Amino acid sequence: MRRLLVMLLVAVAALGVGSARARLSDIDAAGRGNKDLLYMPNGKYLKAISLGHAPLLADFVYLWAIQYYSDYTQADRYRYVEHVFGDVIAELDPGYIDPYWLGAVILTTEGKDEEAGLRLLDRGFEKNPSAWILPFLAGWECERFGRFDRAAAYFDRAAKAPGAPPDLFRLKAGMTARTGNLREAISRWQDVLGDPRNNDEARAIAARQIRTLTVRADVQDLDAAIAAFRARNGRPPHSLDELVRSGIVSALPQDPDGNAYAYDPSAGTVSSAASRVLGS
Amino acid sequence: MNAIIAIALNTFREAIRDRILYLILAFALVLIAVSHFVSLLTVGSEVKIVKDLGLSAISFFGLLTAVFVGVSLVFKEIERRTIYTLLAQPVRRWQFVCGKYAGLSLVLALSVVLTGAALLVAVALKGDSPVGLLPAVVLAFVELELIAAFAVLFSSFTNPILAAVGTVATYVVGHLSWSFDLLEKRMAGDIGKAMCRGLHAFLPNLDRLNVKASAVHGLALPPGYFAAAVVYGLSYALLIVILACLVFERREFV
Amino acid sequence: MSAVIEIQGLRKAFRGHLGIGRRAAVDGLDLSVKQGEIFGLLGPNGAGKTTTLKMMLALLRPDEGEVRLFGRQPTDVAARRRLGFLPENPYFYDYLTAVEFLDLYGRLHGLDAADRKRRIVTAIERVGLSGSEGTPLRKFSKGMTQRLGLAQAIQHDPELVILDEPMSGLDPIGRRDVRDLILAQRAAGRTVFFSSHILQDAEMLCDRVAIVFKGKLRSVGKLDELVAREAKWIEVSVRGALPADLPGDRTTVPDGTTLLRVDGVPSLTKVLAAVPAAGGEVLSVWPRRESLEDLFLREIGRAKAEERAS
Repeated sequence: MRRLLVMLLVAVAALGVGSARARLSDIDAAGRGNKDLLYMPNGKYLKAISLGHAPLLADFVYLWAIQYYSDYTQADRYRYVEHVFGDVIAELDPGYIDPYWLGAVILTTEGKDEEAGLRLLDRGFEKNPSAWILPFLAGWECERFGRFDRAAAYFDRAAKAPGAPPDLFRLKAGMTARTGNLREAISRWQDVLGDPRNNDEARAIAARQIRTLTVRADVQDLDAAIAAFRARNGRPPHSLDELVRSGIVSALPQDPDGNAYAYDPSAGTVSSAASRVLGS
Repeated sequence: MNAIIAIALNTFREAIRDRILYLILAFALVLIAVSHFVSLLTVGSEVKIVKDLGLSAISFFGLLTAVFVGVSLVFKEIERRTIYTLLAQPVRRWQFVCGKYAGLSLVLALSVVLTGAALLVAVALKGDSPVGLLPAVVLAFVELELIAAFAVLFSSFTNPILAAVGTVATYVVGHLSWSFDLLEKRMAGDIGKAMCRGLHAFLPNLDRLNVKASAVHGLALPPGYFAAAVVYGLSYALLIVILACLVFERREFV
Repeated sequence: MSAVIEIQGLRKAFRGHLGIGRRAAVDGLDLSVKQGEIFGLLGPNGAGKTTTLKMMLALLRPDEGEVRLFGRQPTDVAARRRLGFLPENPYFYDYLTAVEFLDLYGRLHGLDAADRKRRIVTAIERVGLSGSEGTPLRKFSKGMTQRLGLAQAIQHDPELVILDEPMSGLDPIGRRDVRDLILAQRAAGRTVFFSSHILQDAEMLCDRVAIVFKGKLRSVGKLDELVAREAKWIEVSVRGALPADLPGDRTTVPDGTTLLRVDGVPSLTKVLAAVPAAGGEVLSVWPRRESLEDLFLREIGRAKAEERAS
């Protein structure tokens, strides 16, 4: 009799466990939402609790965050990304580089919040002045959404970090060119040319860039002068010398090969044999 | 000296023949092995997880060993009355305490060497150089020596449960001693400030012995830091052991 | 020859339960033990014997008075070097074997390796543990543990051996072995000091005894002097018809016989003649002298009476 009772008790208990578990899973799947994250305390407090194991705790939070942000069923997941990566993990282990850029990637590509992504990368670089990878990534992020001036500034910061490869100065020069400030870009490329750390290949690239940009800059300047002439005289000049004679330019520039720039009076365009090498 | 060595070896032998030690050690080694797989879950540097888990395992399981073995060291002898014949020998009381502490140190050294070796292997398997972790491992051992000294101190005058509570409390406070610094700034009165300063200076500052973050990120320690930390930890431990000897000197065995 | 053990005015009191009141465990003890004698400290449980022994070994500190071993304080390591001690109900490290255990204690005495090996073999043989050298102590019976304890106490050939209830828990064979061992110590010129509440053993072994009760010394001296040698009275067992006027007290035993307590040989002669004449039978004649037990009970009785009176 007693054995029967015990078996009955076990059966009832097992049933209870099974059904309740299923029910709890369903409720869970229906989405408890971001309530998890609301309770994630500030990194400083977690650091206190960790009792000397803060880096390990940072790892666990990071691993958890990776899983959490890989789950696409959660709505409104991005509200706390900056808190988790920039505050919790960063406080626990400020030297941990990976979370800064992963958090930034999540924020920019999925959360569509580029500014927050940049802030995260800034914070990481602030705490790790030799982690040039962070402003490097920030620079590309700015490039992606067209802010070349900011991109150039980031590449500058990255290039100046201790241990950064000298190639970063080339990126800076390249971004400067894309801002449209060609003369400035040429100066930057000249810095690269003069940098003793660069090898021959890098210097060759710099030389080509200077050449191309010089042509473009000169053409740009000449086009502007022609436009000024036209505005003044109602017609394009017959030749480039006319520009000098009329006083709009003081002297004519020469192209990188030492030749004069060619002028087509009918089209009103300036060109150079030098540019045809690169075809810019 | 011979007496201290004899007691130390005996203590070591007792710990070795106690299965608890093997359990703790097995856990530590399993954890280090598991870290290899856990590291696969991460995005970015995998070896960081292995290093963090390994260093924390060395510390944590070392702590368990220090507490479990340490708190019953003296107490068991008194409880089981093996101490009567022992102290009737031409052995001075302080030699007894030092012998016990030396034996415990041997056990901890063994634990750190084994778990440390496992960690170095695990890191090497991931293709990274484990040499940078050595300062952290050494300082972890120094921290364990300090905790063990407290365990022996408590064990010399109270039962294992209270001794364990006391030792763990010391560990916790030791890792929060930076908070006394902050508290001092918030305190209004001078007495409060003085108390905070006193506590901050007097209590063991275990966080100074914790260089896990630097070791894992491959950052060099400031010059002289390592030596100063080792001296701090070992000197403090010496003070506590001396205190334990004094306490034990006065004990009566009813 | 100076005393091996010298105790003067020894006092030790413990706080009562919950810290209320003080209970004197040892209340003014004076003792002196000479070299080469076997000295017994006797008393009922709770008389302060173990407390006294602990003060002799620096396990406790006296409140008042002094203990000197070989003229030195018990805290002096030089004194402890010359003695061996066996506590009551000893317990040793489970995880060691007999040889490892004795080796450890040998080391603590500063004996070198070769010396230790020799002494261990001798000691094990002397206490009858040959064959159990490699057995872990966890597997030892109570008797074996006691023997090992003795081995530990004598292996370094100490001048003074202190034993607390050495016979406790031993079977008759064990007790005889311990007795033989103690006698052998004396034969070798060593001193033995032991405490016991088993008086038969003391009677057989001791040169001098001290009887303590409730921390106070009731009587001390040579056994021969304390306990008379001649027969004090004679116990006669008789059966059957008895003459009415028999000298001495009579007690009837359940099995039908009667015990007569006769106070001397003259009275005995009368009884031996009178009983058969009346038709009865003399079964046995047993001359009894006052035993240590009798002395003991008498002293205790007197002490209790004094206590009641005060």
